[in-house]
Amino acid sequence: MIAAFLLLSFIALMLLGLPIAVSLALSAIVSIVIANWDAQWFGLLAVPQNFYSAVAKYPLLALPMFVLVGSIFDRSGVAQRMVTFAIACVGRGPGMLPTVAILVAMVLGGISGSGPANAAAVGGVMIAAMSRAGYPAPFSATVVGAAAATDILIPPSIAFVIYSVLMPGASVPALFAAGMVPGILAGLALIVPAIWLSRRNNLGQAERELPRPPFWASLRAASWGLAAPFLILGGMRLGWFTPTEAAVAAVVYGLFVGLVVHRSISWRDLYSIFREAAEISAVITIILASAGIFSYAINTLGVADPLASWVKAAGLGSLGTLALVLLALLIISMFIDGVSIFLIFVPLLYPIAMAFQWDLVWLGVLLTLVVAKAQFTPPMAVNLMVSCRMAGVSIESTVPWVLWFIVSFLTVITAVFFFPELALWLPRYLGY
Amino acid sequence: MKNGKLEEALSVLSMAALVVITLLNVVTRYLTDQSFGWTEEISVFLMVVMALSGASAIALRDKHIRIEFFLNRKAADGTEVPRRRLKLLGSLTTSAVFMLLAALFVRWVWDQYKFSETSMGLGVPLWWYGAVLPVLCAAISVRAFMAFLRTLRGQTDHVRNQE
Repeated sequence: MIAAFLLLSFIALMLLGLPIAVSLALSAIVSIVIANWDAQWFGLLAVPQNFYSAVAKYPLLALPMFVLVGSIFDRSGVAQRMVTFAIACVGRGPGMLPTVAILVAMVLGGISGSGPANAAAVGGVMIAAMSRAGYPAPFSATVVGAAAATDILIPPSIAFVIYSVLMPGASVPALFAAGMVPGILAGLALIVPAIWLSRRNNLGQAERELPRPPFWASLRAASWGLAAPFLILGGMRLGWFTPTEAAVAAVVYGLFVGLVVHRSISWRDLYSIFREAAEISAVITIILASAGIFSYAINTLGVADPLASWVKAAGLGSLGTLALVLLALLIISMFIDGVSIFLIFVPLLYPIAMAFQWDLVWLGVLLTLVVAKAQFTPPMAVNLMVSCRMAGVSIESTVPWVLWFIVSFLTVITAVFFFPELALWLPRYLGY
Repeated sequence: MKNGKLEEALSVLSMAALVVITLLNVVTRYLTDQSFGWTEEISVFLMVVMALSGASAIALRDKHIRIEFFLNRKAADGTEVPRRRLKLLGSLTTSAVFMLLAALFVRWVWDQYKFSETSMGLGVPLWWYGAVLPVLCAAISVRAFMAFLRTLRGQTDHVRNQE
């Protein structure tokens, strides 16, 4: 009874447009009060403790730091140089610039951990370049938005940090390693429709005439940016840094490149860069804190066990249930943005995952794939919102193009679902 | 102070301090082969300060993450605008919830003080850290209430648009 009240009141408050943090906290607080009517302070004395300890965790520090990395590299000028270098590598011709956009987004994915930040960095360069080469703006916006979705799979990833904090037993390094292969597969899966659509519709015909940049010169210009993923991922792998420290190393490196090498960031920009990162982190962290109260309510009010046994009693079996969960999230995530999906559903999925003994790292990769797909699936597509704004087109205009990319991305999700090893062999090989 | 600049600056300063502390920690570990674990406790505290003060600045602009599916309606010019009553409900509820949290935090920190609890790393009284929590929660509450008043007076369009 109280369990149903907790969940339904939360959903109702959320649909009324209350901030998610407030919906979580209020539904939990009211439920606790109802259940502890006779107790001292209505049982609320544990609330601040749970609010605080949900976020006062050292591993969570990786979240603001990687958000900051994204804000810095967004403006560090490395994207432009990577694009030039990528063109020098793949050459010119219809479908090549979209390929370049996807490849650059994947490399940037090895630096930043957020899809929208990636879309802003890649879009800032590619949308104008693709328009000059004769690609229609809605197509360019689609490619950039879809390409940026690989960011949260390719380590580092803010999504994995949040998942790890919410899901005890899934470590950040293991998740980072597990995201690598699916992330690369997703990128390759996006290149296929990008080239095919360009050829079929004769897009980018002007690209043939554009000059091909010199290889060595553009490699030298791009080298500062290209070295960053090696510093971040290699540094973690070699045990130089924890994930948090790797992020801070990337912050310092990115600031050096932006302030000194490429001079694309001025000292005056620092305040606004830090403010942007602090605010993005704050809105996420405050929801995590409120989710701490909500989880406490779920645990003490005895919601988890009935939920898990109810799902188990449905008799769909382990894989059937997981498939159903993923299908439901694929639909819900079209209307709720990705971070919120994690914050809302991971605490609820925890008892179910325990009951079926799903591999928590594999589950994290699957959920992140779903969220990544949602980042460029209209209407609630955070990456497309960024790229469409840059291209000056509406989200609706991307629909004829984006559907192909969605289908292609879904095949990757299906593959990881049926072949968990795609995600799991790398963390095992690396010994996480 | 009307525009939440104070919290904004506090949030930015905490972020910068987090970068510096973590960096010093790495450097020291490589130079001296030992890390100072006590920085963890300060970093965690700064992260909470950053989150709550950032949340306060954002509460004023009423920009916390929410589901806008039912909240928004199409305006005459085709843009999506929030429904006024739901917006009022949202900011007022935010204010109330965080005021309650502030009160609960006062009680929690009072316990820390009364029982002379000390921190694991540095061994300092826990209430040194804790004392800032009710203040920041109250700040969020006040800022949300200011957002409520602005909507009530129909000033939504004048709310400072950051850059």
